[in-house]
Amino acid sequence: MSEIEEMKSMSCAEFEEIVHDLDRPGTRGMALRERALAHAESCARCAQLLTETESLDQALHAIATTEGDQEAPAWMESALLREFRYAKVTAVSPNIGRHVAALGIAAAVLLAAGISLHRFAPGTKGNVPGQNMQANVSAPATAGESAQSASSAESASDFIALPYADDPDGSDGGTVVRVELSGPALASLGMPVSLAGSSGSISADLLVSDDGTPQAIRLVSQETAN
Amino acid sequence: MPGQAAERPEMTKATELTDDGLLGRMIAGDEEAFTLLYRRRHPSIYRFALHMSGNATIAEDVTQEVFMTLIRDPRRFDPARGTLGGFLFGIARNFLRKRWEQDRRLVALDGDANEIGEHSPNGSGSGASRNGLHANGKGFLVSASSDEFATRETISRVRSAVATLPENYREIVVLCDLEEMSYEEAASVLSCPVGTVRSRLHRARAILLEKLRDAQTARRVPVVRT
Repeated sequence: MSEIEEMKSMSCAEFEEIVHDLDRPGTRGMALRERALAHAESCARCAQLLTETESLDQALHAIATTEGDQEAPAWMESALLREFRYAKVTAVSPNIGRHVAALGIAAAVLLAAGISLHRFAPGTKGNVPGQNMQANVSAPATAGESAQSASSAESASDFIALPYADDPDGSDGGTVVRVELSGPALASLGMPVSLAGSSGSISADLLVSDDGTPQAIRLVSQETAN
Repeated sequence: MPGQAAERPEMTKATELTDDGLLGRMIAGDEEAFTLLYRRRHPSIYRFALHMSGNATIAEDVTQEVFMTLIRDPRRFDPARGTLGGFLFGIARNFLRKRWEQDRRLVALDGDANEIGEHSPNGSGSGASRNGLHANGKGFLVSASSDEFATRETISRVRSAVATLPENYREIVVLCDLEEMSYEEAASVLSCPVGTVRSRLHRARAILLEKLRDAQTARRVPVVRT
């Protein structure tokens, strides 16, 4: 009897506090469920609130049940998979940009070398090797020989690694190629602006790796022989 | 290829993986892991967006954006800060808010609310009686024996009432009542304390009751519990 009285001792405020949790596992409302129901039997106002809350619960549950199997249309999975594949391809190819840039530089260098060769090929008017500084694309030398490739009449700077170079010190081998480069071509290789702004061409040695990618450059100045 | 034979058991295992495990595989480029993760997680995200916006097109957009974000930048998810589900819901909430700013008409009106029901494969409103989820004729739901139309209308009214709740109350009702999450799960999704979830849900349900009382003459019949 006293137990029943104790159960009925729940106040309306306490009932309102837990009424929305009576069926929610793990909550205080569920723990006090029996007391709350007992209170509702003796309180018309709380009984009405309980009924309304139960109706609301049931309506919400009905909505959750009827709409619980809704999902995005099937095309979305295909579209996202395509995006996933695309993202995967770009993610595993971070060197693509580097290779494109290196190829661009290689193309510029080879173009410059080709033009030089064409202009100063044997038999071409005005081509006197040794007299004209522009007419010089040397026979390739190995990277190991590069230190000796500058003749005694020349002074050369140290090799400077080119942007995106994989092997700027030529440790994997490579070839040194003498070229004449214009100022803008030097600028594209990252050389100082003062040189890049030169109106004439400048002699340089390019260290080209085995795959044809230029790795490093050094400037060569030729001293006039007396 | 020997690897192919070895892949099958791994794929089977993938279905047993946790979200974090699947995400790890997905980051490594495992397409099936992404597919499994998407199939596991997208329905609740879609329904959340659908209930929050009341618009199937917006729900599709939001769902797609959530998983696009996961594809593009999966490392944004930090397991130390919560579950992957919470992370995805967080992205969905952010996208919904952006859409909110773009279109103030996101709050579902009657027509929008009906749209949700129209997308239900089972139609709307019949779930309550089908699942025995009818009240005893004393609350907002009428008994199944009285009038199916009235039951459907009641559920429609509840759905509309949910759709017109303020955003922070609506999302808590959607998560806790329609997605049937625990307070702890909802707290993880909303990045707030469990106590906040509880108090906010109680307030939201109190508002719903007020709305429903306004919409229907209260039936003041004493509760008879069995």
